Amino acid sequence: MSTSKRSTIIVEHLRKQQMLEAIANGKRLDGRGFDEIRPFEIEIDVIKKANGSARVKLGDSEVIAGIKVETGEPFEGLENKGALIVSAEVLPTASPHIEPGPPDEETVELARVVDRGVRESEMVDLDELVLVPGKIVYTIFVDCSVINADGNLFDATSYATVSALLSAKLPILEMQDGKVVDTGKTKPMPIKTIPISITAVKIGDVVMLDPVTEEEGSMDARITITTSDEGFCALQKGYTGSFTVDQIKKAAETARIKGQEIRAKVKEFTKYGS
Amino acid sequence: MQEIRRRYVLPGDKIVEGNYRPLMNVVKSGNAIIATRIGIAETGREGVKVIPLSGIYIPRVNDLVLGKIVDHTSLSWEVDINSCFSAHLPAQDVFGRDFSPARDDMNKHLAIGDMITARIMAFDRTRDPMLTVQDRDLGKIPKGELLKISATRVPRLIGKRGSMIQTIEQATQTRVLIGQNGIVVVTGRNPEGILQAVKAIRMVEEEAHTANLTQRIKALLNVPDNPQDAQPSNDASKPQDEQIEAADDVEELEVENEK
Amino acid sequence: MTQTRNLIDENGKRTDGRTIDEMRPVKITVGTVKNADGSAFVEFGKNKIVAAVYGPREVHPKHLAQPDRCVLRCRYHMSPFSTDTRKNPAPSRREVEISKVMRESLEPALMLEDYPRAAIDVFVEVLQSDGGSRCAGITAAAVALADAGINMRDIVSACAAGKVDDKIVLDINDTEDKEGGADMPVAYMPRLNQVTLMQLDGNLSPDQFNECLDKAIEGCKAVAEIQKAALMQKYFGNETEVKEEQ
Repeated sequence: MSTSKRSTIIVEHLRKQQMLEAIANGKRLDGRGFDEIRPFEIEIDVIKKANGSARVKLGDSEVIAGIKVETGEPFEGLENKGALIVSAEVLPTASPHIEPGPPDEETVELARVVDRGVRESEMVDLDELVLVPGKIVYTIFVDCSVINADGNLFDATSYATVSALLSAKLPILEMQDGKVVDTGKTKPMPIKTIPISITAVKIGDVVMLDPVTEEEGSMDARITITTSDEGFCALQKGYTGSFTVDQIKKAAETARIKGQEIRAKVKEFTKYGS
Repeated sequence: MQEIRRRYVLPGDKIVEGNYRPLMNVVKSGNAIIATRIGIAETGREGVKVIPLSGIYIPRVNDLVLGKIVDHTSLSWEVDINSCFSAHLPAQDVFGRDFSPARDDMNKHLAIGDMITARIMAFDRTRDPMLTVQDRDLGKIPKGELLKISATRVPRLIGKRGSMIQTIEQATQTRVLIGQNGIVVVTGRNPEGILQAVKAIRMVEEEAHTANLTQRIKALLNVPDNPQDAQPSNDASKPQDEQIEAADDVEELEVENEK
Repeated sequence: MTQTRNLIDENGKRTDGRTIDEMRPVKITVGTVKNADGSAFVEFGKNKIVAAVYGPREVHPKHLAQPDRCVLRCRYHMSPFSTDTRKNPAPSRREVEISKVMRESLEPALMLEDYPRAAIDVFVEVLQSDGGSRCAGITAAAVALADAGINMRDIVSACAAGKVDDKIVLDINDTEDKEGGADMPVAYMPRLNQVTLMQLDGNLSPDQFNECLDKAIEGCKAVAEIQKAALMQKYFGNETEVKEEQ
């Protein structure tokens, strides 16, 4: 059951007032423009025990994604495809408002929105991850741990997931006498495209990208739009307010253009294709 | 001037041996005095203490604090004072004895998200801090640039007899309201001045343990190093004086030896 | 624990090239989690552990508060990608037990009576695990608690010793933990000379027991120096003495 609740983050009216004044002047409290994304950095292979990993710092939000490759049965209805699942945990280290325990609805939404971007874009060629059709396939677990939270966990987690997949080394497994055997060799993950999510929030009548915590605490509504090389592939509108149709169309266009910039940066950080 | 010996300490460090009185953030262990916090240990005639460099704000009666209204019941507001306990501001403190939850609209007076200046009226080991806004210059803060610093840096930011904060205020043409709990609000007509003041406050926060900080702040703000500047000006207004008094009774960090 | 191969070669070197008295490289960084009141990142061999402290703060639900002292809450948790095979994110029995012994290893150092009715939360997240992650976790947590400015009687430092190829060695790694003869994690308050955590799995003779404990304590003392150096670096940079103003 999902119940309406008050935001755990109460933005001081002094700050909100300043935020609104700044917005009226076309700026944000940290000096960014509405279409400006915070500086970010990506470090790959931070977890040597994982088959792929990446640490993303987007402003002060910090996420580590780690990939574990196992084998298992395919998902129902997808018998001839490998399985891939993205999970997330916002660690209690991340902010004073997080309670340890099973993921709450916001964390489940976070994981599913990131998962959807990867899945629907067909980023990973799951056809290549089958060992015995209908019986044994590669299972790719992408687990994300949010270490520090300062807004826009959707994009930070998404970039961490994508970067970990791009830099992952897939163990080459073989079937011998009906058993899965690790050959000890690896190959790159079969990648078809790079999905990039762009998240925006609406405060008053203004839509701005990459919100920090206090902007999320003041938002009316949020939208996450994921694009691949080909076009749009996933979207999630969130929070209790709403957007006009024009605002959504404009946000979609921004997400497409910004997505290209971010995609180039992600490739650079992960040295993908070089 | 070398009556007080100072050194940097970590929890568990032995500061001194002998017959000294433990004052604060220290424990006596046999014949030795041991630090319990990260900070600057001071060994003097009255005893041994550690001026801490980290830690949250612990409320004390009579402290001036800045707080955020986070909730209210029908009888009191709950105020986040950046501490281990939320404080309470009784509705009667604002509306008077004949306060009636049915008649008086608390939300109209102070809404969730509003910032207030308040004084801690009561607090002890058994109950949460109780606030009052019944004094000059207490109550809702209408506007200003809000920042949080570590509460351990507040005495340094105020400076000896208010010298540091007055230097910053005069050089930047701003007013700086400082809560003992580390919440600071800067106001002023000139946005550039506010930016400069915030920069100076951040510098005090980061370099609180270092020597000659006042000189470096003056250099940052292009103030000539003239002793007259440290004198309180005549138009220094009331809340500032109160802050200074408040600073004096937290045994401020007297690393500066201004002669 | 059955031994299948030699873990110490003829030159006295262990599987990772160390001598029997050598500790793995330890690196501690203070204040790595921005939102926390105190934090530390510890790399202990291949362990990568982040510890964050929140508090003292209000206890929720309120009835858990104690009138005369602070409640200490600890969580030791491993990220799913931290282990050789993926770990289910739900807390395991092992994590529940380690959370408990970790809390009990830290409590003796903390002056909890200074913060009645409040709570201190310690969150230890293992991002990459190696042998001795509980010791590295306690080491990280103690630094994070000092960084948070909680009153402490002493620092808590932890290190394990154990038995490999019938020799007592310092600081057991992953392979030695799995294949070696005994593992003895110890947490220790160096000034007070008190042991606050001790566990043992494996068999030791009475002489080996004493030797093992002594060796673990030596390890704890070495860890304490690294903890202190990291805290000094964070708070005082390269200065070691207070400079008086002119």
